[in-house]
Amino acid sequence: MKVPRTAVLIILVLAMAVPIMGPVQARQDVTISYWLWDNNQLPAYTECADQFMESNPGITVEIEQLGWGDYWSSIQSGFITGDAPDVFTNHLAKYPEFVALEQLVDIQPLVERDGVPTDIYYPGLADLWVKDGARYGLPKDWDTVAVVYNADMLEAAGIDPATMDEWTWNPEDGGTFEQIVAQLTLDANGNNGLSPDFDKENVVQYGFADDWPTAAGYGQTSYSVFTASTGWAYNNGLWGNEYYYDDPRFAQTIQWIADLWLKKGFVPPYEDVSGLGYFALFQSGKVAMTTDGSWMIGSYLGSEFPVGFGRLPIGPEGRKSMFNGLADSIWVGSEHQEEAWQWVKYLSSADCQNIVGQSGVVFPAIPEAADLSLQVRADAGIDVSAFTLQAAEEGGTFLFPITDFGGEITVIMQEAMDRIALGEVDAETALKEANEEVNALFE
Amino acid sequence: MTTSRQAASIQLPNLMRVHRGRILPYLALLILLFITLFPFWWVLRTALTSPASVFSHTSSLMPVNPTTQNFERVLGLIDTKDLIGEGVVTSYMSTATLDFWVFLRNSFIVSGTITLGQTFFSSLAAYAFARIKFPLRDKIFFIYLTGLMIPSIVMFIPNFVFIRQLGWIGTYQGIIAPTFLMTPFAVFFMRQFFLGLNKDLEEAATIDGASRLGLFWRIALPLVKGPILTLAILTFIGSWNEYLWPLLVGRDEDVRVLTVALGIFREQTPQGSPDWAGLMAGTAVSIVPAIVIFVFFGRKVVDSIQFSGFK
Amino acid sequence: MSGSKARSQPKSFILPELLNRLSNNEALIGYLFILPSLIGFTIFFAYPAIRAVYISFLDWNLLTDAKYVGLDNYRTLFSDKRFSDSLQVTVLYVLWNIPLQTALAIFMAVMLERFSTTVSSIIRGIMILPWLMPNVVVALLWLWILDPSIGLMNEFLKVVGIGKQPFMGSPSEAIQSIAGINIWRHVGYTSILIFAGLKTIPKSLYEAAAIDGAGELTQFRKITMPLLRPVLVFVLVTSVVGSFQVFDTVAVTTEGGPAGSTRVIIYYIYQQVFERQIKMGLATAASVVLFSILITVTIVQMRLLRAGESDLADYQ
Repeated sequence: MKVPRTAVLIILVLAMAVPIMGPVQARQDVTISYWLWDNNQLPAYTECADQFMESNPGITVEIEQLGWGDYWSSIQSGFITGDAPDVFTNHLAKYPEFVALEQLVDIQPLVERDGVPTDIYYPGLADLWVKDGARYGLPKDWDTVAVVYNADMLEAAGIDPATMDEWTWNPEDGGTFEQIVAQLTLDANGNNGLSPDFDKENVVQYGFADDWPTAAGYGQTSYSVFTASTGWAYNNGLWGNEYYYDDPRFAQTIQWIADLWLKKGFVPPYEDVSGLGYFALFQSGKVAMTTDGSWMIGSYLGSEFPVGFGRLPIGPEGRKSMFNGLADSIWVGSEHQEEAWQWVKYLSSADCQNIVGQSGVVFPAIPEAADLSLQVRADAGIDVSAFTLQAAEEGGTFLFPITDFGGEITVIMQEAMDRIALGEVDAETALKEANEEVNALFE
Repeated sequence: MTTSRQAASIQLPNLMRVHRGRILPYLALLILLFITLFPFWWVLRTALTSPASVFSHTSSLMPVNPTTQNFERVLGLIDTKDLIGEGVVTSYMSTATLDFWVFLRNSFIVSGTITLGQTFFSSLAAYAFARIKFPLRDKIFFIYLTGLMIPSIVMFIPNFVFIRQLGWIGTYQGIIAPTFLMTPFAVFFMRQFFLGLNKDLEEAATIDGASRLGLFWRIALPLVKGPILTLAILTFIGSWNEYLWPLLVGRDEDVRVLTVALGIFREQTPQGSPDWAGLMAGTAVSIVPAIVIFVFFGRKVVDSIQFSGFK
Repeated sequence: MSGSKARSQPKSFILPELLNRLSNNEALIGYLFILPSLIGFTIFFAYPAIRAVYISFLDWNLLTDAKYVGLDNYRTLFSDKRFSDSLQVTVLYVLWNIPLQTALAIFMAVMLERFSTTVSSIIRGIMILPWLMPNVVVALLWLWILDPSIGLMNEFLKVVGIGKQPFMGSPSEAIQSIAGINIWRHVGYTSILIFAGLKTIPKSLYEAAAIDGAGELTQFRKITMPLLRPVLVFVLVTSVVGSFQVFDTVAVTTEGGPAGSTRVIIYYIYQQVFERQIKMGLATAASVVLFSILITVTIVQMRLLRAGESDLADYQ
C-alpha cells in the first residue's frame, strides 16, 4: 500500500500543468487502454483480451502493466493530465478517494440497462463497489487470509499441521493457538516456550510473526484475524462514519498480541519486523508461522524450505478473515465509455474469469472460476484450500472497512499501534485517544 | 655500550609517542575506508546470490548459491518471460530489463552537457560576485543563495510546465535546461574560491591594462582550476544520479537515463519486498560508469590542484 | 611545475577585446557576467518559489476548482501537533547529521594531504563511491544491513561484544540511524570539497609555522581552520540546507515511523498530498514555512562565520 515518493512529485508537477492542457485528442480507432499491476496475471488477461477482441471486432484492447508504485501515481497523474486508462484494476483502499475526487464512472445505469447479474460473485463482493446507489466497479477477484507455516519446523516440533483444523484462540489465554506458538518457539538452549526454563531474551526461533508495522487501522493480514473473531467490527458499516477502536474487546486483543513479544517472547518484537519485515524473517528461517493473504502464495512457494497453508484458529465467534476484493473501474475521462463498459462487462463475466482461474495465480470473483484456480494448484501439489474454505465458510469473512479518510486513519492508527507495540503505552489508553481523533475526522 | 644503551632508552619513549600519534589517525582512516567500502561488497555479493536464497544465510559474507543470472536478467541477456513460463520466476522477481547501452549513452549526454554549461556560466557569475563591484551585487547574490533554500520538491512544478510549453518533454534539452545555466550551489561554490584568491595578481594585471574578461580568463580561472574541476565532477555525478526530474521529463526510452531505468526496474516487482538480487545487480551495473569516470577524471583533479597557483 | 601557469593562458581572442572597447564600465561588465545565470535563476528557481507561495493561500486538490482561503492553511498547520513534531524531528536529524559529518570530513581531508598524489587519489576514489550510488538504493541497502534481526550490523556488533540494537525499529535510534546512513553517503563528498579548499592554502604558511616551532595541532588551529573558512561556510550552508530537506531515506526505510519519530518535514508535506486527499494548499504552506526556516538558519550561519570575507586574502 506504499505510495512511491515519485508520485508526490508527479502530482505537484501536474498542479501547474493543468491550466495549459488542451482538450484530449480524439482517436481514430476505438482503442481501450487497460491497466493492471500484477505481472503474474498479465498472460491471463492478454488471453482475455484476445478473446474479447475476437468477439468485438470494432474494439482493440491495449493492456499495460506497471509496478504497484508507478501504477497508482500514473493513474492519479493521468486523472489530471487526461492520460488515465479507460479501464483499470481498482483497489478498495484507493477507490473511496477516487470517488471523492469524482474520477470514476457510475456504471449502475449500464448494469441495469444490460441486465448484468451482480449476484454471480461471492456474496458481498459486488456491494463493496456501491456508494449511495452508484456502482463504481464489477468484481474481478478476491483474497482471504490464512496461516502460513514452515513445514520443517512443525515437523521438528512434532506438530501435525492437521491440528490447525481444530485449534482455538481467545484473548484471555490465547487458547491452543498460543500453546502451539509457544511450542514452536525455541531459545538458544533448545528449550521451547512451554518450558519453565525458557529464556525469552535468547530466542533463536519464534513460533509466530506478525506484520505489525503495516497493520495500522486495518490489520488485514495482522490483528484483524483475531480482533474480528471476538465479534468486534471496525465501524458502523459500509461507508460508516463512526469507528470502534476503543471497544474493550479490540483493546484486549491488541494488548494480547503485543504481549506476545513484550512479555512472552514468542513473537519477534516490533523492531525486528520493522526493517525488512516479517516476510524476510520467515524466509530466513527465524519464524515458524505467520498469517498472510492469498495473493502472497506465490512468494511463499519460492522459499528454500517446504511451506504449508493452514486454517486460522477458531476464536470466540469463530474463524474470521478479511474478505478483500478487486474490481475493474472505468475512468470518467474515457472517451469511449461504451466500449470500456463492454470490456468491463466481459472482464467480470465467467468467460474471462475462467481463463484467469485456470492460470492459478489469484482467486476470481465467480466461485466456479475460483474453484478452477484451486484445482490448478491442487494439481501442482499445492494445497491452498485454507484460503478457499475460509471464503466459503458461513460467517467466515468480514469486509474491508470502506469509509472516507482512509489515509488519515492510517496515519493516526499507525502511530497508536507503534506506541503499543513498543510498550510505551497500554492498548486501552492509546486506542481510546486514537479513536477520538479518528471519529473527529467525520464531524 | 653503556652510553649507547642509555641513549636508546632515553629516546625510546619519545619515539613510541610520536609513533602512536602518527599511527592512530591512519588507523581511523583505514576503518572509515572499510566502512565506506564494505556495503559495496554487499551489493556485489547479493547481486551474485540466487534470488530464492536472498533471505537464507543472511550473515554469509559470500554469495549464496552463486549465479550470474541476475546480471543476465538485468542486462536483458535472458528473456524473463521464458523464466515465468518455466516457473522459475516467483512473484518477488522483477521481469524488467535494462537496455544498458542506450541508457548509458543518454546518461552521458545529459550529465556531460549539464556539467559544461553549469560549470562555465556559474563560474562566470561567481567571479563577478567575488571580484567585480556593481550595484545590487550583494543583494542579487543573496537572492541566489535563497534559491538554495527553496525546497526542491516545490521547484519541479512550474519547471515541468515551462518545459512542457516549450515542447521539450521527452527530449534531452528538457532534462538539461533547468540546471544548464546555473545552480545556486555552483555559483556559491565558485564564489568561495574566487574570494580566496590573491588580489595583488589581478591588480598587477589591471595596471598592465588587462580587461575584466581577460582577468577572469587569464588570471582568475587558471588559479581556481582545481576547484573548477572539482565542481565539474560534482556536477557530473550529481546529474548522473538525478532521478526525479529525468523521470518526469524523460521517461521515453530514447532519452531515459540509467537511474530512471533502475527506478522503473525496482518498481516492477508487483507485491511485497523488492527483487533484491536483481536490484543489486542493476545497481552494480549502473554505478560502474560513474566509478570509471571518477577514477579517470579524479586523477586529473589531483594533478591540476598540484599544478595550480599559490606557490 | 609552475610551467602550467604559462600554458594555461589562452591566446587572446576577439570577445574580450570587443568587450573592452564597448565599455570599461565595471557595473555593465558585472551584469554581463551574471546574465546567463540570472536567466536560469529567474525561470527555474525564483518563479517556482513565488508560484508556491500563491498556492499556499488556496484550498485545492488539483481536480476540482481552487478556493482562496487566505491564511487558513497556515492556521491549520500551526495547530497541527504533527507539524510541530515534524519540525522538531527535522532539527534533531540535522543536529545528528551535520556536526558528525563535517568533523569526519575535515579529518579525512586533512589526512588526504599526508599521502602522495597517487595514494590520495585512490583514497578519494574510494571515499566518493557511496555518493555515486542513487539515494534510494543506498537507503534500501542500509535497511538491510541495519535490520535488527537478520542484518549484518548486529551480527558484527555481537562479534565485538556489543548487544543487539534496534536501529530504525525504535524511536530512540531511528533518526540517528537515518542520519548515519546519510553521513555514510555524503562524508566522502564533503571531504573532497574541503580537500579542494585545503589545496588553496599556501604551503609556505605551514613551512613558516613549522620553523616557528608550531606543532601539527597548532598549525591546524591557527592556519588550516581560519583559511578554510570560505570553503567551510559553503560546505556547512549547503549541507545544512540539504539536511533539512531529508526525505528519500525516510520514505524508503521508516516511512515516518516508529510512532512518528522520523516524520521529517518533507515527509509531512508528502503526507498532505498522498495520505490526505491531495491537500496542495497545506503542502505548499508547509514548504513556505520550511523555506523561511532555511533562510533564517542560513543568515545566522553566514553572520556567525563572516562568509563574505576570506582570511587568506588578508594574509597576503
